[in-house]
Amino acid sequence: MTTTTKMPMSTPAQVKSESLLSAHLTVRYPGKPPVLRGISLDIARGEVVGLVGQSGSGKSTLAMAILGLLGRQRATIEGNIIFQGADLLAMSERELRNHRGRSLSLVLQSPLASLNPALRLRTQLREAWRAHSDNNATSTDCDRAIQSALKSVSLPGDAEDPDFLRKRASQLSVGQAQRVLIAMAIMHRPALLIADEATSALDVITQSEIMELFARLNREIGMSILYISHDLPSVAGICQRIAILHEGEIVESGPTEQIFTAPAHAYTRRLMAALPQVPVRREVLLARAHAATLQ
Amino acid sequence: MNRARKLACVVVLVVCAMSLAANWLAPAGYAKQFREAPDAPPSHQHLLGTDEVGRDRFARVLYGTRISLLLAPAAALVSTVLAALVGGLAGYLGGFWLRLARGFTDLFLSLPWLFLLITVRALLPLNVSPLTSVLITFLILGLLGWAASARVLSTSADALRNSDFILQARASGLHGPRLFLIHVLPNLKPVLYAQFWISIPVFILSEANLGILGLGVAEPMPSWGSLLRELEGLISFREEPWRLVPLLLLIVVMTSFQLLLSNEEVTA
Repeated sequence: MTTTTKMPMSTPAQVKSESLLSAHLTVRYPGKPPVLRGISLDIARGEVVGLVGQSGSGKSTLAMAILGLLGRQRATIEGNIIFQGADLLAMSERELRNHRGRSLSLVLQSPLASLNPALRLRTQLREAWRAHSDNNATSTDCDRAIQSALKSVSLPGDAEDPDFLRKRASQLSVGQAQRVLIAMAIMHRPALLIADEATSALDVITQSEIMELFARLNREIGMSILYISHDLPSVAGICQRIAILHEGEIVESGPTEQIFTAPAHAYTRRLMAALPQVPVRREVLLARAHAATLQ
Repeated sequence: MNRARKLACVVVLVVCAMSLAANWLAPAGYAKQFREAPDAPPSHQHLLGTDEVGRDRFARVLYGTRISLLLAPAAALVSTVLAALVGGLAGYLGGFWLRLARGFTDLFLSLPWLFLLITVRALLPLNVSPLTSVLITFLILGLLGWAASARVLSTSADALRNSDFILQARASGLHGPRLFLIHVLPNLKPVLYAQFWISIPVFILSEANLGILGLGVAEPMPSWGSLLRELEGLISFREEPWRLVPLLLLIVVMTSFQLLLSNEEVTA
């Protein structure tokens, strides 16, 4: 069971008006040192924020804490997560469920493992829609929402490929599966999409396509994205701001260009130094970072 | 499908078909007594002879096969549904419920199966109609035989609960019974099928054991158990080898069921 303790870090009134999410929290598991230590993360409406850190640094823990899905692992969360002016940690499970999939969405790392292998795509998309549909909604409304979501992620609808929604996860390519997941995630036009290593398992070309898709959805829907990754180049291409997470602490955060051009923390400098040393590469990254920051 | 499995499939189908066609193959029925010919050897009229009260053994084998082959899958269905409810649900809920269900199944499994079966059956009325005895036997097998399957299912459901697609479904706002029924249960189907098929030969043998002890299906209704019980009075196999037919049939059908189960199902 999740236990929450209020900490006087910030209150809803202190959160900036354009702020969508403001998290200040410490997460620990019983008998272990904290997984996240007093981290602060702010995301404005329509902003794409990158959360970068190596494996085990606590990135996914933060994502699960925001979604309220750490409870079953007996995590203790201290602090607050102000989302749309309300503290997620103070909400009941029922209230949290109302946010999950509607205003807060998640896309996981392994697209094929994240789709139910026993269900057809239509069933999975329908279930995601029904989780937050009105009681008066008809199956036509559901089909319309599914077709719209598929179109948004450039997947074939019933008109283009009548068999597509009859497929199961095993019949999809990794890229297609990731698009289906994104379609499920954006079905209710969430205010915040959490992409937890969403492109890490993809090949370079598919990764690039999915990144472009995220950027387009951010532009078209105005959806904020918390883009969690250990891959700095991909973060540079899409995020306006970056937070560097190291051993459970956010050691540095700032505009993407600043992080790339003037990393302040030693760990961030190590990350930069670890980038492939191809002469053109760094300049390309800087150009990307500059472009992303200006967005 | 390899040759042995094909052969096993044919054997099971033939035995099932013959038992279902018992009304045509043995129109005299299992209860009719040919009082002029008790304990008769095989003849054109009685393919496997008659028993001590003159009932046609061939008819009784066919009808007994029908009872046993219907009883065992029905009991397996009951036990599998119970196992899905107890093990599947506990695995899906996790935590306290999983520990509770596992403790309960472990306790159940620690009791000797046959001893438990005989004790429970002996506690229930024995002087009942044949149809009631069939129902009691099938319910006892079903209601007591779920523990092993529940243990397997709880492990499978526990693994599913921690899977990415269930996490993704929960992150989409799905929860409660719908999440279990739509997302978890379909993924337990292979395990459920395997447990169902594995239970059938176990229940056939269990019914036979109860029948041998006189605790199974009541006379005059035959079952493999009650037919095997007739072997008690057998003095010499050489003199009356046809009386071993129910035993041979049981062995052949049990072997066929084992061959039909793939390695994956046995280890599921």
